[in-house]
Amino acid sequence: MALVGGAVLGAAGHWAVLSRSCGKAVAAPLFGAAAYSSVPAVSNRDGQQREASTRRRGRTPQFVRQHLPPRTEKMAVDQDWTSVYPTAAVFKPASVPLPVRMGYPVKRGVPPPKEGNLELMKIPNFLHLTPPAIKKHCAALKDFCTEWPSALDSDEKCEQHFPIEIETVDYVSSGTSIRNPKARVVTLRVKLSNLNLDDHAKKKLIKLVGERYCKDTDILTITTDRCPLRRQNYDYGIHLLTVLYHESWKTEMWEGEKTEEDMEEYIWENSRSQKNALDTLLRIKASENVSDVTKEELLASEVVKDYRNSVIALKNEGETEKNMSLYKESVKKLLNMQVLP
Amino acid sequence: MLRSLKGLLCRPLKLDRGFALHTAAKDRVSSLLTQDVQTAPERPRAVFYTNENDPANHAEQHEGRLYSIPLDELKTVFPHGLPYRFQQQIKTFNEACVMVRKPALELFTYLRNTNFAHPAVRYVIYGERGTGKTMTLCHLVHYCARQGWLVLHVPDAHLWVKNCRELLQSSYNKERLDQPLQASSWLKNFKTSNERFLKEIKTQKQYMWGRRDRTEAGRPLAEVVEQGLARVRNASDAVGVVLKELKQQSRLGPFRLLVAVDGVNALWGRTTLKKEDKSPVAPEELTLVHNLRKMLMNDWSGGAAVTTLSQTGALFKPSSAYLPQELLGKEGFDALDPFVPIPVPNYSPREFESCYQYYLQRKWLQHEKAHTEAGKEELRFLSGSNPRQLDRLAGPL
Repeated sequence: MALVGGAVLGAAGHWAVLSRSCGKAVAAPLFGAAAYSSVPAVSNRDGQQREASTRRRGRTPQFVRQHLPPRTEKMAVDQDWTSVYPTAAVFKPASVPLPVRMGYPVKRGVPPPKEGNLELMKIPNFLHLTPPAIKKHCAALKDFCTEWPSALDSDEKCEQHFPIEIETVDYVSSGTSIRNPKARVVTLRVKLSNLNLDDHAKKKLIKLVGERYCKDTDILTITTDRCPLRRQNYDYGIHLLTVLYHESWKTEMWEGEKTEEDMEEYIWENSRSQKNALDTLLRIKASENVSDVTKEELLASEVVKDYRNSVIALKNEGETEKNMSLYKESVKKLLNMQVLP
Repeated sequence: MLRSLKGLLCRPLKLDRGFALHTAAKDRVSSLLTQDVQTAPERPRAVFYTNENDPANHAEQHEGRLYSIPLDELKTVFPHGLPYRFQQQIKTFNEACVMVRKPALELFTYLRNTNFAHPAVRYVIYGERGTGKTMTLCHLVHYCARQGWLVLHVPDAHLWVKNCRELLQSSYNKERLDQPLQASSWLKNFKTSNERFLKEIKTQKQYMWGRRDRTEAGRPLAEVVEQGLARVRNASDAVGVVLKELKQQSRLGPFRLLVAVDGVNALWGRTTLKKEDKSPVAPEELTLVHNLRKMLMNDWSGGAAVTTLSQTGALFKPSSAYLPQELLGKEGFDALDPFVPIPVPNYSPREFESCYQYYLQRKWLQHEKAHTEAGKEELRFLSGSNPRQLDRLAGPL
């Protein structure tokens, strides 16, 4: 009120009073004490008295505002939360009845409370997406949906009839434009077991797609976003799948030059291991003066088959205790090492 | 008889003086007492020793026990090849005690039952770091030496692929490189361990060393070795000649050949050596490596090849690798295939007990808590029953 009076009077003397009071009024908020920041420089008794006196001088009794209690105290436990947070909004500490603390604690203290907490306000919150809110969304959207086909009541049937899964995302935002460049991305997922591929075709397809194939789930994922429209991207994705399928069935001339390093798994036939084993066996037979033993006979014998399986297991599955002991047994049998007890 | 009785009287006193023996061990001691009275008149020892000094007679009942190698035999059988820490232990304790363990016993049965007409069987000893692979190999070498085999012991093949000062271009084959220092030191040690064989075995071909020297056919192999030692330039070729001759003659000859290679994964790995133009040297370009690889093929008979994998000196291999395929790589595995893999595990509880009692008895563990049960359990936990870790832990105690 002193300020208003000063402005109305307009006398020079009052100006002085005005400026003094203004200066003091401006200074007053600086002395507001925060609950968890460092104590201001002026902290002795004189400073406090000065601060209290300036506050009283700056504010007239009529302007002391009553702080209303926060809304949280009036909230019922079974209230309708969706009306408190119907849309995405900033975290309002007075509207959220949770005793949340967030932030880095001071020494030997606790994280700061929610009142005036910038950390809580900065982060995105999902208070507008609680399960009752989602239920309401679904109920509202139901009018725009058709019935789920009753024949497709299990995942296996869905996969059997619709092996290719298309994934697109629509974006809604509050802004002037409904367009979103991310909306043109289309993802195609298909299981290779649903495609009609033989061994060579499958290996070739996996080599062609590279990282897009996941071995554990046997799913090929093609993501396209090179065209400006979603429909164009979808067409391109389907076209890619068709081309891959047909190309993998063809066998080019240069595929005959596939070397051992290119092989995905270990094949024992025509490998060094087979050669070594045959050489060893032939030498053993030669030393025993048993001739006329053909390679085919040796290959078909039990010990060689055993050895072959153990080597394949060792190379493909890696070395485990079990594999190593199987290999040991098979080698002992192959080399005719009879160990007398 | 009187001597042994005196020994019996002394022994309980010696044992009671400050050592904590299990009651079970005490029972074994008493059983051994009766055994000793009947058999050996020598000084009776505690349970973890065995008097059986000939590896040929080691059997399952000796498992976990330590046997000692006479020191003069050490010089002839192991001029090189014992691990460095074990050599230090021999110097400290003034005796060489090796533990009899299951992998070694297994190998003995295989070697005893080998058919020497068949191609040589390759055995690969593998295991984690510090589990006793080199010691198993040494045990085997001792066994074969006692049995009268010709032992071709390459102590560490990694020494041939790294830290080599001199690399000469080989005169025999322009592509290859010689290592005179390594070759000559190996020849020297080979000579010490196999003197008598070298005199008996005769060369079958004539060998030309340069333009002037030559070794005629029918001369003892010792001459080839002498040539290699005298003319260091020809040392690597001398090694090659020795290996070739032994390979050809082991089938017919009156001797059995044991090829014992430690750290065989060095032969198929990478080297840290560089040629003069700073290009890296592949292992097959080294004469020594080339010849040793030929030796490890199974196209000869009349013996066996026992090899050890070693990560400790290995180049460009991660420290957690210990399985054959990891350390040998594809090339090495294909070259050695088919081989018999022999895993060497950490100490079993009984073996750990033996080793611990041995250290106590030799007064190696001086810490007052080391004698207690709690101390033993702590040692067991800290070392994880790994022989090398136990050795290292017991050092400062």
